[in-house]
Amino acid sequence: MVGAPACGDVMRLQIKVNAEGIIEDAKFKTYGCGSAIASSSLLTEWVKGRTLDDAAQIKNTEIAEELALPPVKIHCSVLAEDAIKAAVEDYRKKLAAQA
Amino acid sequence: MELARKQVADLLNCDPREIVWTSGATESDNLAIKGIAQFYKGKGKHLITSKIEHKAVLDPCRQLEREGFEVTYLNPLPSGLLDIEEFKSTIREDTILASFMHVNNEIGVIQDLQVIGDICRENKVFFHVDAAQSVGKMPINLTELPVDLMSFSAHKMYGPKGVGILYVRRKPRVRLEAQMHGGGHERGMRSGTLATAPIGGYGRSLQNLGAENQRITALRQRLWDGVADMEEVYLNGSPDQHVPGIVNISFAFVEGESLIMSLPEIALSSGSACTSASLEPSYVLRALGMNDELAHSSLRFSVGRFTTEEDVDGAIEQVRRAVEKLRELSPLWDMYKDGVDLDSIEWAAH
Repeated sequence: MVGAPACGDVMRLQIKVNAEGIIEDAKFKTYGCGSAIASSSLLTEWVKGRTLDDAAQIKNTEIAEELALPPVKIHCSVLAEDAIKAAVEDYRKKLAAQA
Repeated sequence: MELARKQVADLLNCDPREIVWTSGATESDNLAIKGIAQFYKGKGKHLITSKIEHKAVLDPCRQLEREGFEVTYLNPLPSGLLDIEEFKSTIREDTILASFMHVNNEIGVIQDLQVIGDICRENKVFFHVDAAQSVGKMPINLTELPVDLMSFSAHKMYGPKGVGILYVRRKPRVRLEAQMHGGGHERGMRSGTLATAPIGGYGRSLQNLGAENQRITALRQRLWDGVADMEEVYLNGSPDQHVPGIVNISFAFVEGESLIMSLPEIALSSGSACTSASLEPSYVLRALGMNDELAHSSLRFSVGRFTTEEDVDGAIEQVRRAVEKLRELSPLWDMYKDGVDLDSIEWAAH
């Protein structure tokens, strides 16, 4: 989970990863403006079928460009980038803990 | 135009010679605040206002600070009402002006002009009131009220845009440094040819002002009753000292802008209409002591002459549906439902 209620956006991202390290499914819940919800939704579409490394490479600028976000809404796409990075890190941590 | 001046004076029970035409309440606020400060700067350099004023008051105050004046911005009580004792203790020897709005544009709370004005008189401080949200919506009698200057605009009371009014008291006399020079119109306080057609139209429109408060109060209550049973929904601002037309409601765990986007058929705003270009949560709600999160989750509805019961019922239904949908999407709602204390979490501000 990334963001803060006081800043007006919080995103929770869940990923389902298969044995080959490929993201099979992704789901989000977001408290935030329309742009934050759209960024979250687009991110889940994009990460499906990617490897963890590949998914962690997604840049906020790509999201902002795809959604044509205005300058004041760029931070919404940053939130989405933070979310996938945090999710991948969390998954790897949990995997290491199991091993 | 002089007929319109008389019509406005009748509405406020004052002398037509106390009415100065301007381009809008913003100009009236500027003329009153800067005009007093500059004219009386020999007497003192201190002004008092509040943190929930309209930007048309706050920004001229900021400008005066840059010019060497001192301004105290008071925090209101959580109800939105001025803390009278704190106001009294803030007045100094060199205080020349106090400026407080009659009715707040975001939360609709009504300040007690009689009490504030009496304190100003006792302390020989001029009293300016931004009454953009109250004139025409409630009775105002300037012969009795201890108010020296009052700003408002025609379009907030179903008149045309482009017409503003500044009331300037004659007894005891209030003097102003003009902000617009060039011919000495409006008794030297505001030069420039006036927009006669809109002013005349405004005067005429005053005849239609009337007994709609009861109907609008009922609509406001209907709107609030329609959502009040939902979980974690709060009505903002003093429920007792309140105008009928404004309803400010917080829907916890739902962000205001996404809620507005889910309600394309309703015209409303998060924060004030004038600051909706900003991403910051409402500075008015924050000044009441509300946390950022709840301020982000607040909407301002207004009901007026053209609102019907069907409109209100439709709005209630749409709002309920949109809030439920967005809460389904909200991680904060999940956490609330799971009994997690959101304040106990260390959030990464960004």
